[in-house]
Amino acid sequence: MGQFNTFLLKEWRESWRSFKFIWIPIVFILLGITDPILNYFMEDILNAVGNMPEGFATMMPELHAIDLLAASTGQFQSIGLIVLIASYTGTFSKERQNGTATLLYVRPISFTAMFLSKWIVASSVAIVSAIAGYAGSMYYTVLLYGKVDPARFMAMLGTYCIWLLFVMAVTVAMSAAFKTPIATTITIVLILIGSVVDSIIGGFWTVTPYKLSTYGLRFVDESVTMSIFWSTFILTLSLIFVFVIVGIYFSKKRASTVKV
Amino acid sequence: MTCIQVAQLTKQFGEQKVVDHVSFTLEEHTATALIGPNGAGKTTTLSMLTGLLQPTNGQIIMPGVKDIRGAIGFLPQYPQYFSWLTAFEYLEMTANLSGMEKRKVKKEAQKILEFVGLGAAMNKKVAAFSGGMKQRLGIAQAIIHQPKLLLLDEPVSALDPVGRREIMNLLKEIQQQTTILYSTHILNDAEEMTDQVLFLRNGQLVEQGSLHQVRTKFDEPRYKIQFVSSDEARQFASQSELVAKAEQNIVYADIREEKPSMQQLLHRLASSPYHVVKVERETASLEEIFMKVAGSDGTI
Repeated sequence: MGQFNTFLLKEWRESWRSFKFIWIPIVFILLGITDPILNYFMEDILNAVGNMPEGFATMMPELHAIDLLAASTGQFQSIGLIVLIASYTGTFSKERQNGTATLLYVRPISFTAMFLSKWIVASSVAIVSAIAGYAGSMYYTVLLYGKVDPARFMAMLGTYCIWLLFVMAVTVAMSAAFKTPIATTITIVLILIGSVVDSIIGGFWTVTPYKLSTYGLRFVDESVTMSIFWSTFILTLSLIFVFVIVGIYFSKKRASTVKV
Repeated sequence: MTCIQVAQLTKQFGEQKVVDHVSFTLEEHTATALIGPNGAGKTTTLSMLTGLLQPTNGQIIMPGVKDIRGAIGFLPQYPQYFSWLTAFEYLEMTANLSGMEKRKVKKEAQKILEFVGLGAAMNKKVAAFSGGMKQRLGIAQAIIHQPKLLLLDEPVSALDPVGRREIMNLLKEIQQQTTILYSTHILNDAEEMTDQVLFLRNGQLVEQGSLHQVRTKFDEPRYKIQFVSSDEARQFASQSELVAKAEQNIVYADIREEKPSMQQLLHRLASSPYHVVKVERETASLEEIFMKVAGSDGTI
């Protein structure tokens, strides 16, 4: 327990003093408020700067709160995830590469404590960012488009946070196993390309972590199938567990590649 | 009491044996210098002792110690720190990770920082530290948990003469409480603080023993006689029955089994017409021994 607390404090200080706890949530807030505002004023924006020919008629779709939350989710799923992955993909590999890990690895340390502390702090940043981003999105959505039931909103947010725990577990585990560039590539392929593939041919299956964000949105319009959601939930937790174990194993195995 | 015993330690990367069947024993409270040219395997040897590298073969035994990592302190050649931590926070972290009792940590960290001369800078971020301050912090993190064995990789090579002197003095003080093994290629430093020297060349331990033993073995004592002019030197060298050679106005005369004695030499000089400036007996410096060991072809 002592080692875990020490590592947790160290990771916390790192994320705090490198301002990751501030600027990543700000990115998410900006991503979150863009869609509600932009869509609401789209007609005015087009009229003002669109340079449309005389008599051009636009048909604006009737948007509901759920559409804007979906649009914000889409932003988090692309730009948001890239920011998070890029920020934490070096958490093990960079320390090995620049030699700061040497003076830790020569001590009788617990790699389990080390891995968990890194994963927990990275996940905290991710979750704080998601809360901030969705709060921003929600604020303007309610202001401009109408109400969303708070309980359903919380269910969606909670579901998205499970997905983020999975993303960060993959990121930190890959960082433990590979050098930074390779870790980044593999994580991006696994998470972002995986999401794209799932959205293209994902009609054939229902239980996969990639669909968690979609199921989260279905909580809002009440179209979620609970049995499928729970299966997905349990599968994701199991995968998180697998990646944590894999990550701890590799963090120990790769310790000897540290620069002395 | 034996502090650590290393037997047949070998590390192979592919075909190349970087460390080749190295065996030695360190007694408690001694200082040992690991000497060798670049690429001799000094850092690899130290890395294996710290547990960072797994040996291909061989054993490392510390009597009465279960986890060696808890009983050693290590200072790498280029220590890297988390620059966003202060010196105190860094030391607190390393003490905790070394398993020091929680209530002792803060007091001990402060004491050690003052001991290495970082008392005034302890709440400054490491990012703002100079090379010498980083080396002090490196020593602090290596000794905070009172290790039985302190391993230092080129502890003073990167420092200026003032910093080097200060760190050497610090190490001499530390030596009274622990066993030190340090690698170096700066032989003046080794000469200053050594009970035992280990010469590594191409991964092999080619020579070991106390500085005195090694010196006796490799020493080629000689007289250095300085004359006023180089003519005199040349003439003296050619006339006398000494094994001697002249270099400008200096004659080097070899001593074989204490012959000739200083008395005989002075006698000869006194009866010669030459003007002598200086006569002295020279012993090989560690540097010359190093050149001999490093340059010889492994037959020793």
